[in-house]
Amino acid sequence: MIIGSQKPIDEIWGMVKDFHKVLVFGCNTCVAICHAGGEKEAETIATLLRMRASQEGKEMTVDFSSVMRHCEPEYFVPVMDDLKKYDLILSTACGVGVNFLSDRTGTIPVYPGINTSFYGAVESPGDFVELCAGCGNCILHLTGGICPIARCSKTLMNGPCGGTNKGKCEVSKDIDCAWYLIVERMKKLGTLEKLAEIQPARNWSTSRDGGPRRVSLEHIRAYEEQEEKKTESEGGKK
Amino acid sequence: MSGESAEEKKGTHFQRVAALKETRPYSPCRAACPVNTDVQAYVGFIAQGRYTDAFEVIRSVNPIASVCSMICHHPCEQSCRRCSVDEPLAVRPLKRFALEKSSEYRRNKRRLVEKTKGKSIGVIGSGPAGLTAVNDLADLGYKVTIYERHPVLGGMLAAAIPPYRLPREALKEDIDDVVAKGVEVKTNCEIGRDISLKEIIANHDAVLLAVGLSSSRSLNIPGVEGPGVLLAIPFLEDVAFDRKPDLGKKVLVIGGGNVAMDVARSARRLGVANVEMVCLESAEEMPAWKWEVDEAVEEGITISHRWGPKAVRREGDKVKGLEVVKVTQVFDTNGRFSPTFDNNQTKLLEADTIIITIGQMANVGFLKDSAVQVDDRGRVAWDPKTQMSSAKGVFVSGEVVTGPGSAIAAAASGHKSAMAIHLYLQGEQIEDHLPSYEKEKIPQMPPDVIEKINREPRMPIKHLPPETRCNSFASFEFSYDEETALKEAGRCRGCGGGAVVDKNKCMACLTCQRVCPYGAPVVTSYSEIRPEFCQACGLCAPECPGQAISMVSYDVREVRDTMKEIVGPLDASRSEPLVVAFLCSHHLGVLGYRLPENVRTVPVHCTSRVDVNDILKAVECGADGVAVVQCAGGSCKYKGIGQRVAARVERARQLVAMLGMGAGRVELLTADSSDGKSYATVCNDFSGRIMELGLRKR
Ligand SMILES: Cc1cc2nc3c(=O)[nH]c(=O)nc-3n(C[C@H](O)[C@H](O)[C@H](O)COP(=O)(O)OP(=O)(O)OC[C@H]3O[C@@H](n4cnc5c(N)ncnc54)[C@H](O)[C@@H]3O)c2cc1C
Ligand code: SF4
Ligand code: SF4
Ligand code: SF4
Repeated sequence: MIIGSQKPIDEIWGMVKDFHKVLVFGCNTCVAICHAGGEKEAETIATLLRMRASQEGKEMTVDFSSVMRHCEPEYFVPVMDDLKKYDLILSTACGVGVNFLSDRTGTIPVYPGINTSFYGAVESPGDFVELCAGCGNCILHLTGGICPIARCSKTLMNGPCGGTNKGKCEVSKDIDCAWYLIVERMKKLGTLEKLAEIQPARNWSTSRDGGPRRVSLEHIRAYEEQEEKKTESEGGKK
Repeated sequence: MSGESAEEKKGTHFQRVAALKETRPYSPCRAACPVNTDVQAYVGFIAQGRYTDAFEVIRSVNPIASVCSMICHHPCEQSCRRCSVDEPLAVRPLKRFALEKSSEYRRNKRRLVEKTKGKSIGVIGSGPAGLTAVNDLADLGYKVTIYERHPVLGGMLAAAIPPYRLPREALKEDIDDVVAKGVEVKTNCEIGRDISLKEIIANHDAVLLAVGLSSSRSLNIPGVEGPGVLLAIPFLEDVAFDRKPDLGKKVLVIGGGNVAMDVARSARRLGVANVEMVCLESAEEMPAWKWEVDEAVEEGITISHRWGPKAVRREGDKVKGLEVVKVTQVFDTNGRFSPTFDNNQTKLLEADTIIITIGQMANVGFLKDSAVQVDDRGRVAWDPKTQMSSAKGVFVSGEVVTGPGSAIAAAASGHKSAMAIHLYLQGEQIEDHLPSYEKEKIPQMPPDVIEKINREPRMPIKHLPPETRCNSFASFEFSYDEETALKEAGRCRGCGGGAVVDKNKCMACLTCQRVCPYGAPVVTSYSEIRPEFCQACGLCAPECPGQAISMVSYDVREVRDTMKEIVGPLDASRSEPLVVAFLCSHHLGVLGYRLPENVRTVPVHCTSRVDVNDILKAVECGADGVAVVQCAGGSCKYKGIGQRVAARVERARQLVAMLGMGAGRVELLTADSSDGKSYATVCNDFSGRIMELGLRKR
């Protein structure tokens, strides 16, 4: 899931201070699970902002509310009229939610209430760790299920490098060397010899340099597009 | 769409939660109560010192509340889940305590109810069934007339239950509540003697027969007719109305039930030193409550078990004694009452007076030749689905149709009849629309939960010693004092009052499952909280990132939403810091501690319910300092609360620091729950530290 983390209140204040009616809008899925942007945190941020406003002597209404997800319209469309009563929506969803909602609120700006950190797992309660970079071309079957793109400081495809040191990365002794982990894991799996094969340079076109990525499922889109055309020809809008 | 509660309450989350709370299975005590009194709710209020709130919960379903607080057979206690830990909660005495504490509030609440319905109802009989029906019908705006053959209202409560168990002042409180609503009372008015049923039917739009079982059964044995042999109900009526019967030196009571106990103990209080009871059953088989038997024995009453009455022996007119025969078996192999005797074993039990106490029956002679049919065994024909007799518009209620039971069961029957009459008069369908008190209850506690609960013995109830209490009909049971009552109330586990999850808001994050000390939540695609495990500690709700959890027994947002009022007006010229302190309402009550003037208390059932957002709200509303005061000394009735609460306080401190106010404005304090003064001391010390930080600017 997506892991988010809180922004300092000063930074948020900088964003919102010139508005008068602010809604802190929580997202009750990934960022709630990591205690960054669910309804509870949205209420906390709203309270802190009201207090800050009063410290600064500003007249400002700050409310909070939440929906299950900001990244699918069905969740927030039913409350759109309520959202439009505000002159700023501070979304505590991940960046995806902020983008997605912002595209659909007309003249009302949507600002990020949290930082979107990474895709991660809950290692133990309150401890989240990045394990995938979303590179668009998964190779975990070659690396013992350990991602060198996300977890090797240098995203090496053939490792480890000379900086590996007793299982730690030369960048910091707090970082595990991903390639050390890969080797150990593959030993256990009995597939170490696979590492002898040199991986060619990566094709990064599936990653960050081709503009925004999109996944379109033919089997679902075929039907949906027909439906969308139908409503369009009936004068409805998308 | 707002963080403010009024909006939130209209929102769908609130509605969903309200529905969840409604459908939650009941605590076993509540399910066992014939009118489903919400025991955990009112005991919870008592534990917090909120006595008038407790009264409201009790009185909302029980018009004979004070009566029950003295004489209810309390099936709630018998089914209490604490039985599997140590001893059941003392529910009945706690009810008495709460009612006595709120009596002034109660009296001030009495009001005439406007007659809006334009229809009138005649209720015959003023026992618990009739009284309850009158209460409900008056509340609904009907004009009601009660007809009662006795000089006072109350049925068996006034005319049979001896005052040493039911002081008449208690009964009066209940009756006054009902009569104050504006009810016409006709006492000394026996149907069939002073007025005919026909006339009553003609005078009202509907009639309720709640005439109880007012005749005693007698025995068909030689010698029974004549002086010196009395029947239970007339005897108890004499006692109740202070007509002291002459009983001689030795009284023999035939019967082994609760009424027999009342008869024997009343005879004892009339000055008869030698009172003996004789019954068919062995000590174990006796139908009387064990506590009644124990108390009777303490008072010097003897019991001959397993003897059956054969003949009353007389010398001339005067009773000499009762010839009895040995009982060989009381119940057959199917458990049916079917006594057998050994005629070779007989003896004479000497007595001057014999009182027969072997059961009651309805006295429905006045129904002869009326439209209300009575079967050959003297029972009124009725349809339990509509509470109606064979005559249209004539309803029946209470023991006359249900047979002998308890006062509160008769009251339940009264509720049903009132509803039936209301539906009938409004031309609506009765069947399937009457209240049902058969409710699903939560199961007993699982063994691993039982292990986590502190053993705390039940607070004893003081009684007058037997030698003193035998001399008068004054009540012999003392009420709890406040400290004891609060301690006892604190033993309640709040069963059924615990957490519920709004599925629409739960994202299955596992937090509740991880934090719950009792293993109640199970998270699959959403969290389900198993009520048999849940102890209603409230720890989970403030942890839930989706604010999906609410509590059956309280509104989790209440503190935040009322914080402005709690803090009160802000005084810019104050010389002391305004401190908001969250502290355990239970210990607040138990110890009755006084906190310094500058401290605004937020009583909470446990600090486990304090949310980071509650703390922040207090700061927002102007507090110079906010303290969460934990009770040390192992007195918390929940396990595993401390660390979580400490973590929340720490988080609130960091957030407050982010605003540049100084983390020190929020603190976790620890008071010693065995020392009431320590709460004030820790708050005072905290105030001192806040003074050093400085008062906040207004
Ligand atoms: C001695 C004794 C002790 C008891 N102890 C307890 C106890 O400790 N706890 C408990 O829960 N229950 C106890 N009960 C049971 C309890 O009293 C009954 O369950 C309850 O009173 C039944 O209520 P009811 O309204 O059906 O009838 P009742 O209380 O019998 O009321 C019927 C009323 O109708 C009146 N009436 C009858 N015929 C006429 C007529 N023709 N005209 C006018 N009025 C009429 C009667 O005078 C009476 O007032 C006891 C009962 C007895 C007899
Ligand atoms: S512990 Fe309290 S709520 Fe639970 S059954 Fe006993 S009286 Fe009822
Ligand atoms: S803590 Fe809240 S969101 Fe998480 S599983 Fe429990 S009820 Fe669901
Ligand atoms: S934490 Fe407390 S209130 Fe929540 S489910 Fe567990 S026992 Fe019940």
